[in-house]
Amino acid sequence: MRIDDNVCTGCWECVPYCPVGAILPEDGVVRVDEEQCVECGTCLRTAPCPSGAIYEPDEVYRWPRSVRKVFSDPKAVHKETNVPGRGTEECKTNDVTGRVKRGRVSVAVELGRPGVGTDFYDVERVSTALAQLGVRFEPCNPLTSLMEDTSTGRIRDDVKGERVLSAIVEVETSIGNLRPVLETVRRVSGELRTVFSLDLISRFDPDGSIPVLPILKEMGLEPRPNAKINLGAGRPLCTE
Amino acid sequence: MTHSLHRLGSVEELRNDYVLLVTPAIGFNHEGKKAALQKVVDIVFDVGPNNIASIEATGTIFTGTTKEDIKENIHDKGRVRCCFDSREKMEDVIRRLAEADLGLSITVSGLIDEVVPMARRAGFEPHTINLSLGVHGNTGCLPGEKVLEITTMCGHGLVATKLARAMIKEVKAGRKSLDEAAVKLAQPCFCGIFNVARAKQILLEADVSDAD
Repeated sequence: MRIDDNVCTGCWECVPYCPVGAILPEDGVVRVDEEQCVECGTCLRTAPCPSGAIYEPDEVYRWPRSVRKVFSDPKAVHKETNVPGRGTEECKTNDVTGRVKRGRVSVAVELGRPGVGTDFYDVERVSTALAQLGVRFEPCNPLTSLMEDTSTGRIRDDVKGERVLSAIVEVETSIGNLRPVLETVRRVSGELRTVFSLDLISRFDPDGSIPVLPILKEMGLEPRPNAKINLGAGRPLCTE
Repeated sequence: MTHSLHRLGSVEELRNDYVLLVTPAIGFNHEGKKAALQKVVDIVFDVGPNNIASIEATGTIFTGTTKEDIKENIHDKGRVRCCFDSREKMEDVIRRLAEADLGLSITVSGLIDEVVPMARRAGFEPHTINLSLGVHGNTGCLPGEKVLEITTMCGHGLVATKLARAMIKEVKAGRKSLDEAAVKLAQPCFCGIFNVARAKQILLEADVSDAD
C-alpha cells in the first residue's frame, strides 16, 4: 500500500488502523513502511482518509510481493485453493469432505497470529521441524504450494523475506503421532521471532468424547474453553 | 483456518459470544446452494444477529450492508458468517437450522460446554472439533489482555492493536461513546464476526492503563 504524500493532509486518521503498525507519521504527512506492510488492504478499505491519499500500486500483485496480499487480505482468493482468507477449510466442512478422519488429527500452527505478522523464515523453522516427523502437509493449504519440497518443509527462497499477517503450517497425522508433533512445536517455539496460535482438529468419538484430550492432559496442555465445532449438519455426511 | 477460534477472554466473558458459520463444501455439495444460503440469512435475521456480513457483498451491517445486500450477493459457493451476543439466540438459530435441514455444514465457535449440549438438543451429533491450544512463541511482543480480547474478535487479525488502544483512550477520555468506539472497532472486520456488544463491555471494563 502507498500514501501519496502530495495528497496526504497529515491528519493521521489512518495511523491506528494498520494491523502491523506500518503507517508512520513523517515530516507532517504519513508514509507506509513497505517492508513492514503486509498488503492486507485494511487502511484502504476502512481508514477514514479525507483526501483519498491511500492507494494500492500495481506492484502489490507482482510476484513475490503478491504473496503478502494473498496471505493477508481475506478478500484475496488463493489461486491454488479457490478459498479466501488464509486459504484452508480446516474443520468447517469436515462433516462432508472427511478431510480429518477418525484416528487422525490436523495440527495448525498459525504464525504471526494474533496481530504480530511473520516472515517465511519463521514459517520455515516450524515446517522443516515438522517435516522430519513424517507428517502430511495439507495440500489444500496455500502455504504448502510455497514449499520447495514437502518432504523437507523448505520454503522457496524468493518468498522467505515477504511479510504476511499470518501463515498456517497445517499438518495431518495419526493420533499416535500427535505427541511428537506437539513436542516439536514446543521446542521450535523458543526459536521464533513471532508468535503463533496453535490449534488441533479431531473427530468426536462415537460416544461424543474428544479423543485427543487425554494426550493433551498428559502433556500439560490445556485447551481453551472455547472451540470451533462442526455440528455434523452437512450432507452427504462423512462418517469415517 | 482459525478465523473464529482463538477469541480470548474468560469463561464468563465468552458466555455471550458465539460465531456461526454456514458453508457449502466446495466441490462436494455446493451446486444449487444459493437458495439454501439465502434461507440461512433469513433465519439469522429473524433471530437477530449482533453482526453479520458477506464477503460477497459490501461489508457488514455496521458498514451499511443490509440483509437484502447479503441475500442478493450470496452465491452457491458463498458463506454465511455472523455472531450472536446471547446463548439463547444462538440456540434458537441452531434449532431453526436443524428444522430447515439444508444440508449445509454448520460450525459454531463458542464455549464447548455450551455449544455441544445446544447442538444435541437440536438433534445434531457434533462431528469435528477444532481446539485452541493458545498463543506461543515470542509472546513478549503481544499487547495486554484487554486489547487482545478486542483484536482477536476479528479472526483475520484486521482490527489493529493501535486502534483498540485508541478507542480505549477515546472512551475513557469521554470523547467517544461506547457505541461509537465499538462500531469503529468492528469496521475492519468485514466477515461480520466482531461482536460489538462484547466490545462495548470490554471497553467499559478497560482501564486507561490497558491502552498503554
